[in-house]
Amino acid sequence: MKDLTISATQSTPEVRTDSEQGILSMRGDSYPENTFELFGPVIQWVEDFLAGSARPLRLDLRLLYLNTSSVKVLMDILDMLEDAHQSGRDVSVAWFYDVRNERIAELAEEFKEDCSFPFDIVGEEP
Amino acid sequence: MSLPDLYALREQLTRDGTMLCFNGPISRSLLEEIGHALKNYLEAEHARPAAASDVFAVYIEVTQNIRHYANQRGYGDHHAVATVVITRHSDGRYVVSAGNCVEPEDGRGLMARVRELAAMDKAQLKTVYKEQLRKPLDPGSSGAGLGLIDIARKSSEPISASLRETADGKAFFSLSVVI
Repeated sequence: MKDLTISATQSTPEVRTDSEQGILSMRGDSYPENTFELFGPVIQWVEDFLAGSARPLRLDLRLLYLNTSSVKVLMDILDMLEDAHQSGRDVSVAWFYDVRNERIAELAEEFKEDCSFPFDIVGEEP
Repeated sequence: MSLPDLYALREQLTRDGTMLCFNGPISRSLLEEIGHALKNYLEAEHARPAAASDVFAVYIEVTQNIRHYANQRGYGDHHAVATVVITRHSDGRYVVSAGNCVEPEDGRGLMARVRELAAMDKAQLKTVYKEQLRKPLDPGSSGAGLGLIDIARKSSEPISASLRETADGKAFFSLSVVI
């Protein structure tokens, strides 16, 4: 399976996938005008990974600011994880944030509310 | 031809506590560059991280809404003209204001939506936000509906807007958000 390595820009996060380990990691800000350009391949990777194996999938997030269209896309990705979880798949999210900015924790909390799989929100001291 | 009185302009901007002000066509890259500058200003003056996040978020949503609207209406990239003013007040609050030209009918629709959102409390805003998040995107829509709700959620006071019809048959819509 082809993995993704997308470098961060001012308005888009760094995205990496590791299909051996079953990890999708994203870090940084996400406020592109066209979310599909960036997230199209990410959604495709998640779809392929979930369909192509039975191995666990973990999202490793260090996202900072998300514009509303990025929020919508991330929600779609988490919905795919939720469906997989409902059919017995081992999926989880770990969202790391700098404890100085409570807004990121609040954002992560709102996503977590709609997920029934393990979702850790981990505050880190700078 | 009268030359601009920059000193008077500067005095006015300083008196109003203006951190940043912009008027003109706003391209995608300019939007990002101004956002980057805004982040740096907020950091330099040690704004609380939550306030800095909210100011930045509201700036991005309003300017992206203006660009999406111009695209949707087929105004073309050069006509995505925005007026953006961000001020800081002595009590530590920030005001993000943004305006753009719209079709009068769209402007009236926006005014009605702003009034609806301004009347909601935080819990109601969260509910409508989550509903909107779950709605499939209309083809041709840019998800701007979600942006306005998000802005209202980040505002510490009810959001306020005004609409002024202009001589060319259009209207100027402006929105102010207090953080």
